[in-house]
Amino acid sequence: MKLFKLKTEEFDLKLFACALLLSLIGILLIYSAKHASLNEQNLFLRQLFWLFLSLIAASIIFITPLRFHEIFSYLYYLSAVLLLGAVLFVGATRLGATRWFELKGFTFQPSEWAKIATVFALARYLAYSKRSFKSILWIGTVILLGIIPLLLVLKQPDLGTSLVFLALILSMLYKAKVPLLFILLIFSPMISLVAGFHWVSWGIFFLFLIYLLYLLRPGFFLSVWVLGLNLGFGILTPLIWNRLHDYQKLRILVFLDPNRDPLGAGYQIIQSKVAIGSGGIFGKGFLHGSQTKLAFLPMQHTDFIFSVVGEEFGLIGSLIFLAIFFYLIFRGLSIASKSRNSFNSNVAFGLTSIFAFQGIVNLGMAVGLLPVTGVPFPLTSYGGSSLLISWISISILLAIHYKWTEY
Amino acid sequence: MTKTKIVDYSRDKLAFYLVGLIALILTLRLFYLQVISFSYYRQVSEENRVRLVSIPAPRGLIWDRNGKRMVTNRTSYSLLLLPYKTQDMNFLVKKISLLLNLDENFLKEKIKAGWVNRYTPIKLMKDVDFKTICILEEQNEELPGVSYQPEKVRSYPSLYWAGHLFGYVGEVSQKEMEDSKEKGLKLGSNIGKEGLEKEYDELLRGEDGMNFLEVSASGKILGPLKDKKPLPYTVGSDLVLTIDSDLQVEAESALSKYNSGVVVALDPQNGEVLALVSKPGFDPNQFSSFLDENTWKSLINDPSHPLLNRAIQGVYPPGSTYKLLTAGAALESKIVDRNTTFSYCNGGFLFGNRVFKCWQPKGHGRLNLIQAIAQSCDVYFYHLSLKLGLDRWSSYALQCGLDKKYKIDLLDEVSGMIPTRSFYERKFGKGEWVKNLVINLGIGQGEVLTTPLGTAVFYTALVNGGIVYQPHLLKQIRSPDGRVTLNRKTALSRLPFSSSTLNVLKEGLIEAVNSPNGTGGLARIPDILVGGKTGTAQNPHGKEHAWFVGFAPAEHPKIVVAVLVEKIGHGGVFAAPIAKRIIERYLKGVSIESGGEEKSNFPTD
Repeated sequence: MKLFKLKTEEFDLKLFACALLLSLIGILLIYSAKHASLNEQNLFLRQLFWLFLSLIAASIIFITPLRFHEIFSYLYYLSAVLLLGAVLFVGATRLGATRWFELKGFTFQPSEWAKIATVFALARYLAYSKRSFKSILWIGTVILLGIIPLLLVLKQPDLGTSLVFLALILSMLYKAKVPLLFILLIFSPMISLVAGFHWVSWGIFFLFLIYLLYLLRPGFFLSVWVLGLNLGFGILTPLIWNRLHDYQKLRILVFLDPNRDPLGAGYQIIQSKVAIGSGGIFGKGFLHGSQTKLAFLPMQHTDFIFSVVGEEFGLIGSLIFLAIFFYLIFRGLSIASKSRNSFNSNVAFGLTSIFAFQGIVNLGMAVGLLPVTGVPFPLTSYGGSSLLISWISISILLAIHYKWTEY
Repeated sequence: MTKTKIVDYSRDKLAFYLVGLIALILTLRLFYLQVISFSYYRQVSEENRVRLVSIPAPRGLIWDRNGKRMVTNRTSYSLLLLPYKTQDMNFLVKKISLLLNLDENFLKEKIKAGWVNRYTPIKLMKDVDFKTICILEEQNEELPGVSYQPEKVRSYPSLYWAGHLFGYVGEVSQKEMEDSKEKGLKLGSNIGKEGLEKEYDELLRGEDGMNFLEVSASGKILGPLKDKKPLPYTVGSDLVLTIDSDLQVEAESALSKYNSGVVVALDPQNGEVLALVSKPGFDPNQFSSFLDENTWKSLINDPSHPLLNRAIQGVYPPGSTYKLLTAGAALESKIVDRNTTFSYCNGGFLFGNRVFKCWQPKGHGRLNLIQAIAQSCDVYFYHLSLKLGLDRWSSYALQCGLDKKYKIDLLDEVSGMIPTRSFYERKFGKGEWVKNLVINLGIGQGEVLTTPLGTAVFYTALVNGGIVYQPHLLKQIRSPDGRVTLNRKTALSRLPFSSSTLNVLKEGLIEAVNSPNGTGGLARIPDILVGGKTGTAQNPHGKEHAWFVGFAPAEHPKIVVAVLVEKIGHGGVFAAPIAKRIIERYLKGVSIESGGEEKSNFPTD
């Protein structure tokens, strides 16, 4: 008897094809970005090797019962938090950030694993908790589950990845059908933190907040809690911030993100825009990007990989790339919507929103619409851990689709 | 048990629309960049390329305690190669290697290591001299792509080398770049590699600036990039050292006639290092310029180890300088007082079936503790050590911190070695060894080891009332914005000796220099009361190492000097006169050029 027989009609070939295309395009782009360099010409081979490894891992995950992940969700989460803690102590430091475990030339980034593990933990809690979203315990648990890995990753420091966790909390609250205005209420202290840089902006926001509380009437404790936090952040931020010297402020910003424009504000974005803009409609052709060849952009094989697409394949290539990516996201969303098992549906939605957030932030950065935060493009950017974890996510999505009728 | 999902299609639809909207925005943005602004960006990319040229920040200067400049920067010329201007790289390499008599492979390695792209210059050699420039300029028709770049390099004083103090500066290695938590290190950046240059590298280095230049397609520089101001550099901080440069010169010249030795001069009231010399030394200037492989190999392979900083990395038997430790431990243990005498010294001491000799074959007669310190009578200390026993001796030595590092602000300091009972049990097993060994330890021989710095710090505590100050070289940091940060004194620990014990020890030290029979008479200075202790450490590899640790003025010491001369003979003969010169120079401010070998009738140790 065969242990596993693929039912082709239930296999989401379209999703699989999108993911494989993005990975293979990535290898071509890495080759193009590095073929003119002297000692990194073979990076694309490393990526090819990782893709091979990732596909094997993905096959194993695909035939693993989904119930298995459900049972071990919290264990996954615990292991991820422990690894994130450990990397701060024994991890390898590069360019000021401690993000990697290093063993015999191979490196692994535990924050990649933490993304999936957090999705599982949140998905399980949301699927089984019977509490109302208005209960402080419920909100507290959801936020705590997301914020622990967020803070550990921020400590590394890695601003880009910690924002992924923020997006994850948001999207899971959305998935749990918490009203949009209520989500806004939960995140209001963060808005206060930012709005607090000027008293006018903060004042307007605070008035709006009071109106929101009146509208939602979330209960006495929660109201006091939200108001207190907002007041605290609104008053503390300007007090602390204004006492800092300019160089101290800059240091905090640099601490939050060490890769933040090493050559001065705007340099990388300018170069990326020049690369993409100069590609025109048809592009300069594969391996013919002059911006790419002259290595004006230091991170073109990782965070700015889209600029290679724009320069060498032009608007047509870019739109095809965008189409593949967004089709992948739509597939993910529809799998989440189709699955009849609440846990599976939550997982699918969480994984898809990570893909969507990373891809959109990365594209926004490359075309100069968003600030530089250092988020790789999933499946396409250079990086072994990122590729492996992306493929594991894809494989889980495929498995959820394959067993969508499962309760 | 799983719950049935109640499908909420409106939420899923909203997510779809949101993602679709973002896709639309990105598409419009791409259309704007690649179609509407295409001609602008194509022009920028085709005609004007950006080249980044870093503007190196000048390193901070190093000053001595009296405001004399010690380490400065001077302008030098680096030899550059511009790959895009050369037609035939192999021919060029051959030509340069012929003209300058350099190895072809060496140049090829440099080019490989420095290659970024055709438009980025590669640095072939640093600090080339005028002659080299002349030779190359004569042939400049045949050498397209060869160019020069002015650059600041470190300039160390020529009067004294002090390579061990300053260390040197060199180009950052790949590994250092990856390990560094600091930002702003680029290929070609200079960083401190040894000594103070490395210890305080982050302060001295400053931050490099950056020029954004527009370069044409052919590589010609068109000028600064529009809308992008150059990033200015930040000068590094200046360091003010505790070193007295005059004293450093004096110490180097006092050691000049010996092959290898050490001088450590400290201020006993705060641990400031006044002078620090380790001989043989090296000239840090040779690292600033182009260091050829032969010079480097000869430094590394020199059997006298010139790169080793003997003051903090050399371990020696302390010899009789540690008799003060034995005496202090005995006084604290109430085994003796200043007047205690033992049996008559006739030049030797029979223990078991072995005779332990006194350094003075004639014997010293009957001495009390003060006289025994002054005349360094070994027999007296054999008696003392036996009464004290190994455990009490090592316990006091450990309490004095003699097995610890003193955390001086120089890299790779090593600690001394204090043997204990467990050490010997590990080494020899349990047995009857204990009593024999302590006899030797009591006079600073056997397994006990110290660094010259360690002995010097021990003596600062003996004469300042018992406080062990952290020895340090940094006095002040002067930031480029004018702020001055003081490096204050830090007390590490206290000696386990009472003030009455310390007074007896000090009396013995003063007698050692000033009594007619004292071993340190050559350190005597008119008008200044000097105290000190000689030491002659047996050395299985040759003649004895000569030690002298002196301090002055004895009433309120301002300087402690530890002198060690390797493989030469008695401490009182060879080391004491050096300490005298240094003390006199520091307290009187005059240099006495000693003429020839000093002969004397003073007894020695």
